[in-house]
Amino acid sequence: MASMEKRLQKELLALTKDPPAGVKVDSQRICTNLSEWTVDLEGAPESIYEGEKFQLMFKFGSRYPFESPQVMFIGEHIPVHPHVYSNGHICLSILTYDWSPALSAQSVCLSVVSMLSSCKEKKRPPDNAFYVKTCSKNPKKTRWWYHVLLNKVERNSVNMYEEERPCDMK
Amino acid sequence: MATPTGAEGGTTPPGGADSADTDAGTFYECNICLDTARDPVVSMCGHLFCWPCLHQWLETRPQKQMCPVCKAGIGKDKVIPVYGRGSNNQQDPREKLPPRPAGQRSEPENQGGGFPGFGFGDGGFHMSFGIGAFPFGIFASTFNFNDGRPGPAPPGSPQNREEQFLSKVFLWVAILFIFYLLIA
Ligand SMILES: [Zn+2]
Ligand SMILES: [Zn+2]
Repeated sequence: MASMEKRLQKELLALTKDPPAGVKVDSQRICTNLSEWTVDLEGAPESIYEGEKFQLMFKFGSRYPFESPQVMFIGEHIPVHPHVYSNGHICLSILTYDWSPALSAQSVCLSVVSMLSSCKEKKRPPDNAFYVKTCSKNPKKTRWWYHVLLNKVERNSVNMYEEERPCDMK
Repeated sequence: MATPTGAEGGTTPPGGADSADTDAGTFYECNICLDTARDPVVSMCGHLFCWPCLHQWLETRPQKQMCPVCKAGIGKDKVIPVYGRGSNNQQDPREKLPPRPAGQRSEPENQGGGFPGFGFGDGGFHMSFGIGAFPFGIFASTFNFNDGRPGPAPPGSPQNREEQFLSKVFLWVAILFIFYLLIA
């Protein structure tokens, strides 16, 4: 779809020109295939991930921006975080239920960065071992059951773009 | 690297795609395709979209119709088409599917009486109003002090006793209901 390509080009331009702190995107590399991006993230200074480097992969399907992009950490270094599984899958409501076409790759980057920066303790989600064994390759196919519940609670109390709670229900 | 796309030549603002990133250029951009809005509509919450873009979003999540920007309630009949000067010069509207909802003309004397802002999300609004009003209505009739209104039957009459009994029953129902809401 032509309008999707146009939007992705605009998003890429905006992210290259004005990236959030700690985000770097190599637009030359992406240009060959606009529907798959690799974004470099760096742990924010004074956060527990300071100095660590991560890679985030974006896959934009043909129904983007009406459907959320597929976003996950890739590479050797996956951040140890209560919302990030060791296979790179991220539990973040805007990547599934709370996606809106007014969001963008840039706002996803911002959410991931703030998710990392606000974390106080490095640990995996409590169900990591089970999830990694049983999940689909595409994190969008996961039905984040308890996460949905959690997101509903969050929607009533705090800004839902900044999740700070771990994934388990307590 | 941003290859110019000439597909929608008729609607690209003068200056081409590169100038669209200036502040003046982005202001009238659709919040979904990030391009200058075509067949523009504006929601009650004031957010601008191309009608085809918004329509596709409403079709994507029929049971959860929210403004993509601010998550206010939104719907096919709750957007206003925006007609700029010379908008007829654009592409033949018949080629564009789906048809954009028509503008509504309300009579001048109706203005000021309504609260169009309450138009969306009406289901939730009415429901909470009903629940809230139930107990308070009971309190009002139970503690009905003499305020001059033609209200309760004269004290001591059978009708009055019956009314008092009924209102006490309802008061307890209301208290139980509130209690239930608190612990639920
Ligand atoms: Zn649009
Ligand atoms: Zn809105």
